[in-house]
Amino acid sequence: MTNSDEDFAKKITTYLDQGAAGLKAGTAFRLQRAREAALARVGDPKRVPAPGLARSYALAGSGTVGGGGRFWASGKLWLGIVLIVIASLAYQQWQAWQQQLDIVETDAAILSSDLPIDAYLDRGFQAWLKHVGDD
Amino acid sequence: MPPVPRDPEAAQFSRRIPPLATFKEISAFLADVERRAFKQATFALRDDHSALDVVQDAMLKLTEKYSDKPAGELPLIFQRILQNTIHDHFRRQKVRTTWTTVLSALGRGDEKDDEFDPLETLRAKSDSNANADPAEQLEQAQIMRTIEQALSRLPARQREAFLLRYWEEFDVAETAAAMGCSEGSVKTHCSRAVHALAGILTAKGVKL
Repeated sequence: MTNSDEDFAKKITTYLDQGAAGLKAGTAFRLQRAREAALARVGDPKRVPAPGLARSYALAGSGTVGGGGRFWASGKLWLGIVLIVIASLAYQQWQAWQQQLDIVETDAAILSSDLPIDAYLDRGFQAWLKHVGDD
Repeated sequence: MPPVPRDPEAAQFSRRIPPLATFKEISAFLADVERRAFKQATFALRDDHSALDVVQDAMLKLTEKYSDKPAGELPLIFQRILQNTIHDHFRRQKVRTTWTTVLSALGRGDEKDDEFDPLETLRAKSDSNANADPAEQLEQAQIMRTIEQALSRLPARQREAFLLRYWEEFDVAETAAAMGCSEGSVKTHCSRAVHALAGILTAKGVKL
């Protein structure tokens, strides 16, 4: 690297400094807000816990030193996933059981009623039921 | 009062450990670097909103994970985080591009009006050449814009090397550490960047 290269680079950086100093007010304000948000997390992250979603995003950014590996290695994450899976399986089982119970109740009602079961297969009877329902 | 180590060797060792950055030092460092970091991200991403997101992410990562480092190490760590966050952004963008193109074809409205922010029309107070000759000011602004455009056109590694070495004033070894490459590569990237910039500026009729 020659001295003239260094001089040229210095001239360029002088202009870059000017550009950085003349940022739009909105941008400068947002940078300041970002800095304040970052400074609020200085020190022990446990002392100032990050909101769950925001923290996931920060960790998902990943490739940085320290990486996103920890995010997937976190026991709490896996515990959460297991709980969600168990809850959804339990809900599915409960729904199937409810459905079965409904069918049993309907069957019992049909079988124990005075009406012969063949009546339900009769088209005329269905038409009559509909007619009665409409009235 | 800090505990006094009994072992003289331990005492000597503890004296060698640089003091950790204080809250004030971290705050001052971020305030000093934030604008340059934003510009660096803008040169790479060519989008102010994404650049702001990237700088915010980098700042958060620094304070969350590395606030227990000595103040002297912060610039290098921050630059490493910033460069990695920019690369991560590119990676995520690549994945999103397919969906964005499909969705943008469907929903073309008057987004420009929604994105208008009156604050963006104002200049920051730190613009110190308010009393300068308007013609000169205009010329300076044009040169500045040309330089920024030229930097955006440089290959990513050349731009990174140039900005870290000359703008952040890292030495060759620090630049190499921040970029994760050899010192020889840094010198090559810097030299090529300088010549490429000189070529672009000469072609545009800009004399520094």
